[in-house]
Amino acid sequence: MNYAMVRRLILKDWYLNRWIIIASVPAGIGALAIVLIGKPIAFMLCIILLCMIIIGVGAQLAMVTTINERKDQTLAFVMSLPVSWREYTAAKILANLILFLIPWLALTAGALGVLLLPGATHGLVPYTAIMSVEMLITTSLIVVAGIITESQAWTTAGIFCSSLGLNVLGYVFAHLRGISRFMWGNEVHWTPTAWTVLLAELLMVPLLLGLTFFIQSRKTDFL
Amino acid sequence: MNDVCVRLAGVSKKYPHFQLENISLELPVGSILGFIGANGAGKSTTIRILMGLVHQDKGSVEVLGHAMPSGQVAAKQEIGFVSEDMRLYGAATLAWHMAFIESIYPAWNQPYAEVLLRRFDLKPQQKIKGLSHGQRVKAALLLALARQPRLLILDEPTTGLDPVARREVLAELIAVLADEERTILFSSHNTLDVEQISDRIAFIDRGRIIAFDDKEALLDRWRRLRLVLPPRGALPQLPGIVEVGGSDRLPVLTTSQFDARVVSLCQDRGATVQAVDPMTLEEIFVANVQSRRELQPA
Amino acid sequence: MQSDFVVSPFSGQPMYLQIMEQMRQKIAVGEWAAGSEIPSIRQLAVSLCVSVITVKRAYLELEREGVIVTRQGKGSFVAPDPALSPRLYQEQFSEHLDRAAQLGTSLGLSDREIVQRLRKAVDKVNETKLEKEPQ
Repeated sequence: MNYAMVRRLILKDWYLNRWIIIASVPAGIGALAIVLIGKPIAFMLCIILLCMIIIGVGAQLAMVTTINERKDQTLAFVMSLPVSWREYTAAKILANLILFLIPWLALTAGALGVLLLPGATHGLVPYTAIMSVEMLITTSLIVVAGIITESQAWTTAGIFCSSLGLNVLGYVFAHLRGISRFMWGNEVHWTPTAWTVLLAELLMVPLLLGLTFFIQSRKTDFL
Repeated sequence: MNDVCVRLAGVSKKYPHFQLENISLELPVGSILGFIGANGAGKSTTIRILMGLVHQDKGSVEVLGHAMPSGQVAAKQEIGFVSEDMRLYGAATLAWHMAFIESIYPAWNQPYAEVLLRRFDLKPQQKIKGLSHGQRVKAALLLALARQPRLLILDEPTTGLDPVARREVLAELIAVLADEERTILFSSHNTLDVEQISDRIAFIDRGRIIAFDDKEALLDRWRRLRLVLPPRGALPQLPGIVEVGGSDRLPVLTTSQFDARVVSLCQDRGATVQAVDPMTLEEIFVANVQSRRELQPA
Repeated sequence: MQSDFVVSPFSGQPMYLQIMEQMRQKIAVGEWAAGSEIPSIRQLAVSLCVSVITVKRAYLELEREGVIVTRQGKGSFVAPDPALSPRLYQEQFSEHLDRAAQLGTSLGLSDREIVQRLRKAVDKVNETKLEKEPQ
């Protein structure tokens, strides 16, 4: 694996998409600032906005970096470089992950920080962490769909299903006994249930990536 | 002592509505191969197989000593590829692309790149999406030429260019050959361009190579003969007749196997040879394709 | 070396013949001196924007005729034969005569008509020469 080439491709994707990332951070901070109004409705609004920003950035990034290469016909240009299909796939996955991690980390830290402020509902911390990682998985899924299908239609369907899945899981997790018991309390309480869910989520990511590599390596025609 | 730069042997590839069959080509180092074919004949597919971007179903492909597609990364280090359906990143500038390519290939020649910028009349600070079609083609060619690769594979490099730009591109392409270690393979609709700078010519039609020859040899053996037959005279039987036109008394024969004896053969059979006309590459290609299609309608 | 050849793909004459003719003329008028070095095949190909194989053919033919010599590893040179220039002109003259005879017979002219026409042509050349001489 030619790491130098992979790095260059990642930097290329950063350069071409830097504005999406850069714009998301102040947007997220703005959303967090709404919480400071203090009312419960502001809290709800903040959560909704944060979700929208994170999912929006993730989906946009995934679409632009994977689908557009074929749509804009730049794929031939990239594949004419001394890079193998594996390196290209690795670069796409890593680019999306790394680029997405920037706003994700910032906003997750921000959200958790807000929750840990005196007067906020500290109990929500595990749930928030779990949902945040869930959004990471959702974005990974969209990236995987984009890379494997290279089809705008399928990837859009993937975005739709992921958003739906996010809501469903949000509901499910909020009602798991191990989590719901302490959610609205004033203490940060990590139950075994919460840990299990978090661990399972974190394991999903390498699983998805491995699957992508496997499927991509079976392709023989790139153009 | 010529090494072979590109070798295709028995390459086949099957698609739902199209089949590339038994493609065999050889291109020696230091020469130019011009590839002529109708749209959909298989030029682009063959070129993609050469680049390792499409895997052949059968047959072997060797480029610069590397087997394709397995050795494609090493091969691509030394191949400059420009394709008609290839695009650069619209949101970035030409300068960005130049820096990007320079960071990948150590052989990037910045002074030469600047010469090309002037010759092709391109502004590096301009975004690719603001360029006209011809400028985009020239930009892509600049990126491929400035790295001075050992092999240039070009799919329709002069298509869509104005006459001045075409001349400039052809001049740059032939200049590559000043180094006898460098090789070019290009496909084109522009038979005049192919005729002018190619050393070897390949015709492709319906997924098959229908001719593969040295350009001079090819141009030498195709002729159009204008004959005058005596009344009740018979058409002389000549080898390689591909087409018979004209009238009964004034036939026009197109032959693919002309040599010095043909004229005397005609005269022996009582026909007067009015004229022996050479044919342009385009006429040869069309005659070749049409005669084959008549024999094997799709 | 910038080339002052002018060749055209549309002139009707095969490219390699055009190149040969112009090379012979350069040698005949002395622009390329006997024994001097001439551009290599690739150099000429690049400056004319013509395929290497075409230039190579021209060089091979001229070498066969003894007009140039190619020394492996050293380059190509005009043949050192001092009687080259007149001999080239002789060759050209014979070629043109043959061609004129061919065309004349194809046109259906009689032998006498062909000779008459040749005489007229010579007369014309002599007239032009007289006009050009200082009075």
